[in-house]
Amino acid sequence: MRLTALLSMAAKAAFPHDYRYGTNRPWTIAAQRLNPPGKKRRKVFVEPIANEDWHVLRGDTVEILSGKDKGKQGKVAQVFRRRSWVILEGLNTHYRYIGRSGDYRGTYIASEAPLMLKDVTLIDPTDRKPTDIEWRYTEEGERVRVSVRTGRIIPKPVYQRRDGIIPQQWKDGPKDTSPEDTLQKTFTPSLKTLEEEVMEKMNIQEDRRPRKSYWY
Amino acid sequence: MAAAVTSRLTAAVCRQFQRVVTVSSYTQPQCATQAFSKFHSCQRRQTYDSWWFRSSTNNRALHTSCVREGLEDFFDLPENWGEQTVKSGAPWTGKQLRVKSNEDLHKLWYVLLKEKNMLLTLEQEAKRQRLPMPSPERLKKVERSMKRLDTVVTEREDSLRLLQTGQERGRPGEWRRNVFGKTFWYRFKEHPIPWYLNSRYKRRRFFEPSHVAPYTRLSLEKYLRSKIRKEKREKRNQKMLAAVFPKKTALA
Repeated sequence: MRLTALLSMAAKAAFPHDYRYGTNRPWTIAAQRLNPPGKKRRKVFVEPIANEDWHVLRGDTVEILSGKDKGKQGKVAQVFRRRSWVILEGLNTHYRYIGRSGDYRGTYIASEAPLMLKDVTLIDPTDRKPTDIEWRYTEEGERVRVSVRTGRIIPKPVYQRRDGIIPQQWKDGPKDTSPEDTLQKTFTPSLKTLEEEVMEKMNIQEDRRPRKSYWY
Repeated sequence: MAAAVTSRLTAAVCRQFQRVVTVSSYTQPQCATQAFSKFHSCQRRQTYDSWWFRSSTNNRALHTSCVREGLEDFFDLPENWGEQTVKSGAPWTGKQLRVKSNEDLHKLWYVLLKEKNMLLTLEQEAKRQRLPMPSPERLKKVERSMKRLDTVVTEREDSLRLLQTGQERGRPGEWRRNVFGKTFWYRFKEHPIPWYLNSRYKRRRFFEPSHVAPYTRLSLEKYLRSKIRKEKREKRNQKMLAAVFPKKTALA
């Protein structure tokens, strides 16, 4: 037991408590270049927002309130809750070269910079104007985002999965169980353990008695 | 003479075998005729069946099925060979597994196990060929499904045990103090002999010596101090964050 715990500890990547997490995933080379071991950076203070109070979701259309692209609307591509960051598609970009090697200077691409949560607001879908958001409950009991100004409900955005699968258009493969078989209820509660039930079904007769053993 | 000796030997062997292998009425196994060229061992077993076990004491002949399946289960379906990505569905969730009977779960475990073995073989072969493994997320899905199945089965076992015996844990144990004065949950082990006959167990000390006793109080104080310090640090942090990010009382 302790060996597996040790192995899992070794497998899990460990970071110092004052590690500054950036837009790059910590195991990538870019992140290792920005945060080499031993580098200490000033601590960033992030406003603590509970997970339930978070109102900007991936796929939402938001408007930028301050910065280079002030007044523009864009779709949210990525959300970093721990740092209150929001990355929009194609907005708030700076340009850099990527993939340089030797003499080749690399491709010139636009890379998006993250925006703070307080610099973006959600947009009323019908009005197409920026509003403040509150979490309220509908008559059915569902928790929804409601714009304070107009009172309209902002629906949850539909965002495509990273692996490109659209659940409505999924076709089962040869090794997949069909939805009807998966949801079919075959469980009947009984006072038998799994082993006893399986032995009954497979007609296994166990006549041997276990030898007396001592637990201490 | 030799025949009688061999028949007696085989009779003894058969009696042992009878307990292990299910004995059925003698039927012509299909494999012998079909796979005569492929399965040499099968062919040999077929000839054994005809006269080896037909001794006077044992009239019921032994029927062992020969290996019909090869190692195909260690490999994917032939249409997926050479593909860069293989489509796979979502893993089993705990909710879906909880409505299944114990027999279904038992069968599903082995299906998942065989799939996991196939994927691990594929992973190892990809490493050997220094190529990327096609769709490695399948392995993660299978492992998660197996973990959830295990959780569901332990839940059922725990509930049954609590109902019937009131025991919270499946494995017995108790709180003990080790030589260093630390109290810990000692999990019992199964032994064939009682503890008073186990010399190695008697040498283990589950008490603290008298010179260690003062340090237990000191370590307890240290632990309490660190706990209080942690709580105070948390409170200080929250206060500082509230000062830096004041909560807007009147919503704009």
